[in-house]
Amino acid sequence: MVAMTTIGQLVFSGLLIGSIYALMSMGLTLIFGVLRVVNFAHGEFLMFAMYGAWAFVTYTGFNAYVACLAVVPAMLLYGALIHWIIIRPGLNKPHLVVVFATMGLSILMQNLALLVFSADLFDVPPLNAGRSITIGPFYAKLELLIGFGVTLLATAVIHVVLKSTYLGKAIRATVQDGEAAQLMGIPVPRIFLITFSAGSALVGLSACVMIPLFSVFPSVGLNFVLIAFVVVVLGGMGSLEGALLGGICIGVVQSLSGYYVAPAYGQMFFFILFLLVMVFRPAGLMGRRGEATLGMLD
Amino acid sequence: MTACIALVVIGPSQHMLDVILLSFMWAGLALAWNIAGGYAGLISLGHAAFFGIGAYTSSILTVKAGVTPWIGMWVGAVAAAVIGAILTLICARLRGPFFILSTLAAAEVVRIGALNWTSVTGGAEGLMILPTPSAMNMVFGSKTTYAMLMLIYMVVTYVVTKAIEGSRYGYYLFAIRDDEEAASAAGVNPLLARTGAMCTSAFLTAIGGSLFAQYFLFLDPTNVISPELSFQFALIPALGGLGTAIGPVLGAFVITPLSELLRSYFGGGAAGLHLAIYGAVLIIVMLYFPSGISGALMRHLTWKGDSAR
Amino acid sequence: MMRLSAFASVIATVLIGHLQAPAQGQETIRIGVLEPMTGPANKNGIENYTAMEIARDMINERGGINGKKVEYLLADVPNPTAAISETERLITKDGVKITMGSGISPLAIAVSQTTERHGVFHWETAGAADIITKRGFKYTFQVGPAGYRYAQAAIDFTMDDLTKRLNKPIENLRIALLWENRAFGKSVGDGIRDYAKEKNIKLIYDEGYDQFATDMTPIVQKLKDVKPDVLIAISFPNDAILFQRKAKELDFYVSALIGVSAGYSNPDLRGSIGDMVDGIFVSDFAAKVNPKALMPETVKIAEEFFKRYDAKLHRPPAGHASSSFSATWALFTEVLPKAKSLDAPELREIALKLDLPNGALVNGSGIKFTNNDWAPDPKDAGQNLRASIGVWQWQKSGNNQVFPKNLATHEPIMVPLPEWSKR
Repeated sequence: MVAMTTIGQLVFSGLLIGSIYALMSMGLTLIFGVLRVVNFAHGEFLMFAMYGAWAFVTYTGFNAYVACLAVVPAMLLYGALIHWIIIRPGLNKPHLVVVFATMGLSILMQNLALLVFSADLFDVPPLNAGRSITIGPFYAKLELLIGFGVTLLATAVIHVVLKSTYLGKAIRATVQDGEAAQLMGIPVPRIFLITFSAGSALVGLSACVMIPLFSVFPSVGLNFVLIAFVVVVLGGMGSLEGALLGGICIGVVQSLSGYYVAPAYGQMFFFILFLLVMVFRPAGLMGRRGEATLGMLD
Repeated sequence: MTACIALVVIGPSQHMLDVILLSFMWAGLALAWNIAGGYAGLISLGHAAFFGIGAYTSSILTVKAGVTPWIGMWVGAVAAAVIGAILTLICARLRGPFFILSTLAAAEVVRIGALNWTSVTGGAEGLMILPTPSAMNMVFGSKTTYAMLMLIYMVVTYVVTKAIEGSRYGYYLFAIRDDEEAASAAGVNPLLARTGAMCTSAFLTAIGGSLFAQYFLFLDPTNVISPELSFQFALIPALGGLGTAIGPVLGAFVITPLSELLRSYFGGGAAGLHLAIYGAVLIIVMLYFPSGISGALMRHLTWKGDSAR
Repeated sequence: MMRLSAFASVIATVLIGHLQAPAQGQETIRIGVLEPMTGPANKNGIENYTAMEIARDMINERGGINGKKVEYLLADVPNPTAAISETERLITKDGVKITMGSGISPLAIAVSQTTERHGVFHWETAGAADIITKRGFKYTFQVGPAGYRYAQAAIDFTMDDLTKRLNKPIENLRIALLWENRAFGKSVGDGIRDYAKEKNIKLIYDEGYDQFATDMTPIVQKLKDVKPDVLIAISFPNDAILFQRKAKELDFYVSALIGVSAGYSNPDLRGSIGDMVDGIFVSDFAAKVNPKALMPETVKIAEEFFKRYDAKLHRPPAGHASSSFSATWALFTEVLPKAKSLDAPELREIALKLDLPNGALVNGSGIKFTNNDWAPDPKDAGQNLRASIGVWQWQKSGNNQVFPKNLATHEPIMVPLPEWSKR
């Protein structure tokens, strides 16, 4: 009976943290799917947003979820800015231009944060004094449960937008075939701008959910960006549901492998998982077959 | 080339020698990366794995089995080439960001493996080679000798690069890189060609790793197989100019002294300023000079009516 | 093509030329200081350097050393590769003949390797990995405690003190060991394992973990399963915070937690996890010891140091900062005044002759270096056998030294740690 509770707790905790990984990766998968670019500064976007959320909480006294009201729009604008300055000029150039430009952006952002905030770890006060809620025999921190809820809500909202609104359809069309979409009269460059900004706003949302759980410091992005990439690829580029599924998978795999194998190998397991997916099903769990291999991305 | 040799022979100050030596090494490493990344279009952000395999293999053989690095480095190079081949075969069908991320993931697997395989690699505490000078064991007291060694490395990689560029094999690579379907229709086997390029690239990178190990005499996985290092391998050719032989060399000779300069002027002051500048420079160069420094120079010099090639 | 090469050479030469600045000779004592001012260890770097600056200011106000003022040349070394380059630069370009540093072990290893190659004297104030003094180097002297001493302090404390407070003999005490799997964590972990074996103490759990883990659930769950009384944990700040939070979340608690330096000694821990931090023990450099353990002149120096440090950083010094000050002050008052030059062989001779009793340095240490004459390991040279080490505890009144008895300023409290719901 003890073993069951243990497995149960591991899976449960993995599920919750996985949903947070998913939320953090949704922006990336949308950007990937629509613009076909790798934003290597994704982790740093998260870091900036987390600092923003922290600053909001510390200076206004409201909790991190209220901070969304400020951070999400701020990240929307920031995303638009970066798209304008860096992404747009790089779109018609060889792939690696955006890769390296965003790498440069990542270094720049990290060190600006270091200059302004120093390397100290910043935290916000926990809800409920850090105590857990118990659901049956399982424990969960309130912040994790809220994170899970927010992720589901965000997924649902975005899903509805994508399916039912004109914008959503335009985005899906662009994901399927950018050229054809343009021929059909869809203003693809504007779709790019909107998607990149929306993706950044999503990162802002996830930052607000994450700041009660994780400390922020200039290099915090590095811890998360690799996870985000793996989630996106696992789930399938451009697929929202894929990101959700992928995130949860990663969370649970990490939890179980950490317990049953060895925590020292940490991230190795999901890199191996990543490579396995690449070999056997490169389009990811929910991506469309052939996307990764037919060169639709060049 | 002659200028480089002259630089070494003139024997500038010890410190300048250090920078020159590192520039040679980076030039060689950049050229090696370029064979896969620039010529074959296989952009890898995991080359630090090959570097590390080379460095660790020759060092482990030296420390544990007393084998001289002059031999050990070839073993490391072959090991790296094999790993490179496996990687390419596995990821053969992937394109664009998928391939790039796979290389990243593979390198991380190697790093974490090296970190935890303590009995062999010394794990996190690192592996140390005794600093007693001995030509047999590739440990030299004089920095000039090391500089010569790195210069030879750079020259060799340059020659190999040029050889590929001018050969039929090179044409195959460019063809595959630019339009794979057409190339295969013309009878070129993309998989074989790509694998060959990656193997050569891995082989040469590993040699560079062994030489590095003999210079620094201390290795640890976190710093030798890091993503930061992998980025550097790709960054220098990208800045210098992909797909040309002189590009990576230019890149190395600009970036290496520049980083040293930035760090010594700004490093002690505001923490992080020098890196912030580096990041900003990177963005600007990539966006406005995508064919790198060599591309920009080429255009500039050609416009001036310069008929040199 | 030739034009291009020529052009490139010109650019390179200009850039490289900028790096050639003439070295200056003056009537000051120039000491190269290598600390990680950026990068992941920069907290240590900044605090160590602040402490060293205070030492420099204090000695210069007192007229310098033999009439000459002390001047530092600071180099930022965020990682070992930079450490090697920067040390090379300080030695070959700036001509320094003596260096200090280096913040954390991997940097200490890299810096001292470079200085030894050039025959330069290196005074290591904080790096701890055991290997630092086992490489047969002649000119590297490690003033702070070696890694295995942190391990011993944790175990000795458990044996001498916790067994009494928890009323359980050592054979029945369930002790768990958790270590982050990079250089420091691993070397202390090894030390604890070896020392425990020596003392016939069994560890019921012994695992390394990845420092960059974002989810501590599996680790906490595993520990919950083995139900330890005492947990010895070697973590860095970020993982320490995540661990504590997860422990509270999953309702995992122990009777006593001994953290080892690095994460658990970080002053910001209280800011991040609040009151959860009270009661945690830390095996670390001694930061502020019982004045009765110090020699009378040292007490005054200690007071001045604490006052100045507080004025600069608005908090008491962490162990590594105290260690940096103590080591630097010893260099300024016991080694350099006796030296006619800064040549390494001369400095080495002076260093080896040092025989300062415990309590001579501000943090309670003495100085006596090994020189291939140490029974447990004849290959060891340059280790300071009288470096102080101990255990302090996070208490509401401050971080107070509780072990060993002669250095302690307070008694341990909160043993056993109350359950989470009661805290």
